[in-house]
Amino acid sequence: MEKQKHRIGSKIIMGITALFFYLPILYIIVFSFNDSRSLTRFSGFSLRWYEKMFSDSSMMEAVFYTIVIAVLATIISTIVGTLAAIGLSRSRRILRSAVEQVNNLPIMNPEIVTAIGMLMFFSALGVSKGFLTLLLAHIMFCTPYVILSVSPKLRSLDPNLADAALDLGATPAQALTKVIVPQIMPGIVSGALIAFTMSFDDFIISYFVTGNGVNNISILVYTMSKRVNPSINALSTLVIALITVVLIIVNVIPIIREKTKRREQV
Amino acid sequence: MRQFRSMVYPYVIWITIMIVVPMLMILLYAFTTAGNEVTTIRFTLDNFIRFFNDAVFLDVLKRSLVIAVATTVLCVLLGYPIAYVIASGPEKSKMFWILMITLPTWINMLVRTYAWVGILQDDGLLNRLLGLFGLGPFPMMYTTFAVVLGMVYNFIPFMILQIHASLAKMDKSLLEAASDLGANRIQCFLRVTLPLSLPGVLSGITLVFLPAVSSFFIPKLLGGGQYVLIGNVIETQFMTSGDWNFGSAISLIMAVIIMISMYLTRKVDTDPAANGRSE
Amino acid sequence: MAKKLIQFKNIVKEFDGKLVLKGVNLDIYENEFVTLLGPSGCGKTTLLRILGGFLTQNEGQVLFDGQEISKVPPYKREINTVFQKYALFPHMNVYNNIAFGLKIKKEPKDIIEQKVKRMLKLVNLEDFADKNVTEMSGGQQQRVAIARALVNEPSVLLLDEPLGALDLKLRQEMQHELKRIQQEVGITFIFVTHDQEEALTMSDKIVVMKDGEIQQIGTPTDIYNEPVNEFVANFIGESNIIEGVMPADYKVTFEGRTFDCVDEGFAPNEAVDVVIRPEDLDIVPREQGKLKGVVKSVLFKGVHYETMVETKIGTAITVKMQVSDDRPVYNEAANEKMSANDFYLDVDDVDELDDAIIVARADAQAWNPDEDELISIKEVQYTIEKKNGSYPVTFSTAAGTSVTVNMIVKDENRVTSKENEEEIFAVNFFKKADEIQESIALETDLKTWANASAWSLEDESPVEITDVKYDFDPETITPGIYDVTFATRGYEYKVDTTDKHEVGEEVGLIFQPEDIHIMSRQR
Repeated sequence: MEKQKHRIGSKIIMGITALFFYLPILYIIVFSFNDSRSLTRFSGFSLRWYEKMFSDSSMMEAVFYTIVIAVLATIISTIVGTLAAIGLSRSRRILRSAVEQVNNLPIMNPEIVTAIGMLMFFSALGVSKGFLTLLLAHIMFCTPYVILSVSPKLRSLDPNLADAALDLGATPAQALTKVIVPQIMPGIVSGALIAFTMSFDDFIISYFVTGNGVNNISILVYTMSKRVNPSINALSTLVIALITVVLIIVNVIPIIREKTKRREQV
Repeated sequence: MRQFRSMVYPYVIWITIMIVVPMLMILLYAFTTAGNEVTTIRFTLDNFIRFFNDAVFLDVLKRSLVIAVATTVLCVLLGYPIAYVIASGPEKSKMFWILMITLPTWINMLVRTYAWVGILQDDGLLNRLLGLFGLGPFPMMYTTFAVVLGMVYNFIPFMILQIHASLAKMDKSLLEAASDLGANRIQCFLRVTLPLSLPGVLSGITLVFLPAVSSFFIPKLLGGGQYVLIGNVIETQFMTSGDWNFGSAISLIMAVIIMISMYLTRKVDTDPAANGRSE
Repeated sequence: MAKKLIQFKNIVKEFDGKLVLKGVNLDIYENEFVTLLGPSGCGKTTLLRILGGFLTQNEGQVLFDGQEISKVPPYKREINTVFQKYALFPHMNVYNNIAFGLKIKKEPKDIIEQKVKRMLKLVNLEDFADKNVTEMSGGQQQRVAIARALVNEPSVLLLDEPLGALDLKLRQEMQHELKRIQQEVGITFIFVTHDQEEALTMSDKIVVMKDGEIQQIGTPTDIYNEPVNEFVANFIGESNIIEGVMPADYKVTFEGRTFDCVDEGFAPNEAVDVVIRPEDLDIVPREQGKLKGVVKSVLFKGVHYETMVETKIGTAITVKMQVSDDRPVYNEAANEKMSANDFYLDVDDVDELDDAIIVARADAQAWNPDEDELISIKEVQYTIEKKNGSYPVTFSTAAGTSVTVNMIVKDENRVTSKENEEEIFAVNFFKKADEIQESIALETDLKTWANASAWSLEDESPVEITDVKYDFDPETITPGIYDVTFATRGYEYKVDTTDKHEVGEEVGLIFQPEDIHIMSRQR
């Protein structure tokens, strides 16, 4: 009896939770298909806001920049971060803790502080704000997350693994690519995934370091949201769809791989 | 094993340039005023004096702290039961709910904040629902309520995930042991579960308080142009007024406040009095 | 007469449709040290958790002091538990861990302090009250867990494999400690373990369990000396178990001879298992032995030697090894060398034959003599029938180097032993002298070359070939024909001796009638 009551209570709590988390997202998706300009009254199904979005060059440019920056920042920060993490795991303790402290700065600091630091740094160098500054800033804040996700995997690695590979005749490069990297692959993949979404979703840092018409989706939403503009809903729906697809692929690929592996074993 | 040690050096150079130097520049700007040449840097506390002598700025600081604290408290009060229910469920539903909570955090924060604009309008979804019960309409957009709601919505997943992690890590046999020693369900919760999940709550608090106190687009989107928090002041200094020295000083003040609050939180976590022979 | 404190009546428990307890009946008396002993998965922990109140049985009753307690929640039971990994509260120090139960009961502060102090003394941790439990060693944590349970003055203490996490020396120390504490507080201890030594040292009563059923209940001496079946005999200590029959009371026949024994009550000519403990056997000169055998191996065990004596060899087969010193073929045009040897095949192998098997059996290889690098064999040409005879096979490389050898099909490659219910198989083979000299693991290679294998006639399950005998010196072998014998394990007796015997020594074994224990055969 008591247990049953408990279970019903849990169900109610989780129901409200799901509603709270997903109602706004559903709301955006529904109103992206609204026929009128209103954000509150649904007056009929139409694709006009999608048409408007696709014909709006500044929106399409923002989508393009967001994706290009995210892909480049992910690739570069994953490689840099993985190599740095491996190097770090073999470094002396003083260096390691110093690097870890600095690494934590962009994670533990409010983003706006990191952002103004970058802004002033680029302007002191005389670099004009735009694509390059945006990319450099994204690599800067993505790499610590890659290191953070790779390091625990390195720590749980048998320290003799690389020695064993070298002992068996592998060059250091081969030991790295054939032994260490495959072992820490799950950490690298999740680091890359975090880097991608961090870059894809970033607003504050991007907002401060970009310029000359180079915008990403977040900045566009921020500047356009001052007036009612349902194309934002269409754009947001696009973002939601994209992220959902990425997440599904990331979650489904390991399952498929597992299945094919099992089939091969049979 | 020194084979791969050298791989860290390029990164050390990179973070020195890209992380350490910008941080030092904030310090430099905060303690100087405009118009300095590199050769004639003069350090001054003017920026800080200006901030603490202006009632408008102090009000903004106070409001930012109140809103951040309110957001954090709400996230604990709402997040704990949710995390508790998830952690006490069966393994499969645990995985499902963790995914459900994580999924929205992967979607752009601005997009998720913007979503509330339609819901909170005077003739929006929430007011129309209340209307069904003969209530309202209440003005919600551009109020403190909207700002806090937006912050709770954006930041509560961090709280839930942290608390859940500490609850899930807890050894189930501890509850059996407590029950074996005569504690009923409420006593088990108060004496074992709650104290053991405290580290999770504390790291959740840090993760919520930090972005809440510095946020500037949530107040702008849901609070309107008139609604100013400390983050908005910093934004204005850099993006419109162009007073970088003053802006740097304000960010430094904010960073110090955050550091102090984090230090206090961590102190509670490791305070020996919390696990000493207290009655 | 002690009174019954706990009664399990026909306890059945299932998890996900799997029966973990199959109707367990067990009485436990006051002030007893009872051990539930069995391999993991036997249901011993489940039974303990049902008594503790953490699980509810599907069927049956649990009586405590005559009262049914199945519906009583754990916090209202007069029973306390020492958990497997102690489950100490990490956020409390030693004192607060021990005081937990008393605080819950809202006992006055001074009483709590008194009782906790007494407990700390009992478990020898007087100076550790303020210590953080996470900083203590396993043995100390163990003592805290015991004190935390005992301070509530339960009438029964349950211990769920509490010594499992400790190292050997500490474990032995804690065994004495636990026994002392039990005698001092004078309550019932129910102890769960899979370690038979632990059970034998501490218990007043041992309950041996397997697959959710009780196998035997008795004192340590009963269980050790008179195990009721093969499982108990094997689980408690080491033993030699031999198949035999009981022609009459006090007589048992095994290994073709009839011996006196002290057992009775079996049907005439009933098939039984005979148990003789290693320490009850003695090695004597061959002519004085009741059984005769050969020493197979000797292991030094600290206080004694564990000597294996084989009284009867297993199933054996002898094959011929023809050693040649063929030179490899040399193809000058391609600068390739190639070699292969003839090999024997069983008729039954013909069906499964493919190129890879032929290359391996013929040991065909081609190489570049300058760089000493192997070259792959591109083609294997042959015709074969399922009939005795010799069939040529030709291996060739891409460059055209080739070698032809013979595959010799032959039956009669097996020996069957009705008595051992085994069959062993091996074929004659050809080998080059240098291959034998270069072999790193000759016995394994000989098995592979002869394709030797053995299996049980009952269910075709594989039987290990433990013996490979040959009388040549592999270092200096010259071309010729040699015998190689493969054999399975025979009848072996484990004997604990204080004298060291040499491997290969011919010895006799003796034992007394009372050292023979008869059990009904389990099927």
